[in-house]
Amino acid sequence: MSYVSPEMRAKFDEITGRYPRRQAAVIPLLHLVQEAHGSLPAEAQREVAEYLGIPAVKVQEVVSFYSMFTEKPRGRHHLMVCRTLSCALGGCQEVSATVERVLGIRHGQVTADGMFSVEEVECLAACDMGPVMQVGDTLHGHLDAGKTEALIEELKKR
Amino acid sequence: METPRYLTRNFGNPGALAHEGYVKSGGYQALKKALGMKPADIIEEVKKGNLRGRGGAGFAAGVKWGFLPKDDGGPRYLAVNADEGEPGTFKDRALLEQDPHQLIEGIAITCFANGVHAAYVYVRGEFHKGRRTLEEALRQAYQAGVLGKKVMGSDFSLDVHLHPGAGAYICGEETALLESLEGKKGFPRLKPPFPAVKGLFGRPTIINNVETLSCVPHLISMGAEAWAALGCEKNGGTKLYCLSGQVRKPGLYELPHSTTLRQLVFEHGGGPRPGRSIKAVIPGGSSSPVLTEKEMDVRMDFDSLGKAGSMLGSAATMAIDDSTSMVRLLQNVSRFYAHESCGQCTPCREGTHWMHKIIDRIAEGRGQADDLDRLLDICDNMAGKTICVLADAAVFPVQSFLRKFRAEFEEYIRKGRKMSLVGWTEEMPEAPTAAGIH
Repeated sequence: MSYVSPEMRAKFDEITGRYPRRQAAVIPLLHLVQEAHGSLPAEAQREVAEYLGIPAVKVQEVVSFYSMFTEKPRGRHHLMVCRTLSCALGGCQEVSATVERVLGIRHGQVTADGMFSVEEVECLAACDMGPVMQVGDTLHGHLDAGKTEALIEELKKR
Repeated sequence: METPRYLTRNFGNPGALAHEGYVKSGGYQALKKALGMKPADIIEEVKKGNLRGRGGAGFAAGVKWGFLPKDDGGPRYLAVNADEGEPGTFKDRALLEQDPHQLIEGIAITCFANGVHAAYVYVRGEFHKGRRTLEEALRQAYQAGVLGKKVMGSDFSLDVHLHPGAGAYICGEETALLESLEGKKGFPRLKPPFPAVKGLFGRPTIINNVETLSCVPHLISMGAEAWAALGCEKNGGTKLYCLSGQVRKPGLYELPHSTTLRQLVFEHGGGPRPGRSIKAVIPGGSSSPVLTEKEMDVRMDFDSLGKAGSMLGSAATMAIDDSTSMVRLLQNVSRFYAHESCGQCTPCREGTHWMHKIIDRIAEGRGQADDLDRLLDICDNMAGKTICVLADAAVFPVQSFLRKFRAEFEEYIRKGRKMSLVGWTEEMPEAPTAAGIH
């Protein structure tokens, strides 16, 4: 087992115990693996499937269906730029274009040094402070071109 | 007009995030009261209080609970829908982050009333802060004996588990949520059987929204009559309105159900930005049919907005001013539904993509003369023809935009100009005057 450490396995046991069927734990378990390893390559998915006692394709189906899961590594800072209605009414196109210009990558790409990746996402449920961007766990609101650029500069230092 | 706050009374009071602080603010008194009532009486009280489901459909919560079959000794579940994703909606995130114990209290009362001993809170994957906050509140609730083997010293036992989503709008649909909770991709289920009969893990299940459950302690503590009186007929209590878009003061407003759309946007939201005027409003999430400025005197309750040809939905009100092109706006909305269609039913999977492609080409200046009729034809082949209502949700904005702002779309097609991609709020360019510009 290369992706699931003994400590993680203990956590797996605890989570799986919350459900009458083991398969129900697949999403929380995949979150744990992705948090620890940055992505969910086929081997990691196979290990989760084996642990749960379900066919690997059932795990693959879940990984490909949900947008937060990724088979390929993302940047150390993953920038999620909201593109939905309220943010669009507030000018998120400018935020999106600024991110691409400053980082020199397009949406869905990772910078060569692995520091940043960027993705346009649907409504992040923070519409009163749009345009918004989520970086890791943190929401950044009321963005414009200048604030976006400053935020990226700030992230570069971390 | 200052409205008393119930659901948001602890907002801005971080002390209430802790069990002790919540109790100090009067918390868990409603649960204590409920534990002394007969379960059937609690359900009756919620029916009398006219508590409507705040996830979008507005179905009477007490009636929904009444659908559970008689106890057969096997497990039954409560699934809490915290998968907030309808564009423009941000109330459940606020409730999770700012008053998690209020939700836990609502869950506990609901479970006691319905003989449920296990609840799963399905929290949207992107809500890291909300999840952490609720996790900590759950830990403290167990420690304080609010959850676990003997809820507040009674014989009632209850476990509440937190379950993260992973990014899929469709999982806000109740049966897709159940599939996701079972560890599968979020494909909605055919109904019947309804979840009340055969839901999570094949067992009777209630599915309620975060805001609905957060209302329950207030309804129980003040009594059905007082709660009902806060709202208007058949719409009890106060309501959280999510105001965003092109207004001066976007934000979350807790107001009586009798508030009109005009009051919300102009009095509470401060009206349009300087030099602008309100052109249209989407009252209840991106799927609710758009209303024009002239239609804003409608009351923001489930029935009045329904009669006005729209819906309250998740009460996500988005104001649109005169700088915005309705064509570009619909381009954005249709892209959302094309992206979020789960792909299970052909009319939705194909229809949302074709609608988006056609609206896209109109917005890019390549529209064809019969495109608008073609769009309406696609709408007729989607609505009511799929397992869940995502297809209907995708159709409503297209139909209403074309009905109320058809001239704008026709102008785009007639002029055949490619608009700038950035610059959402750009004015329609003048008709070409010199040769060589299209």
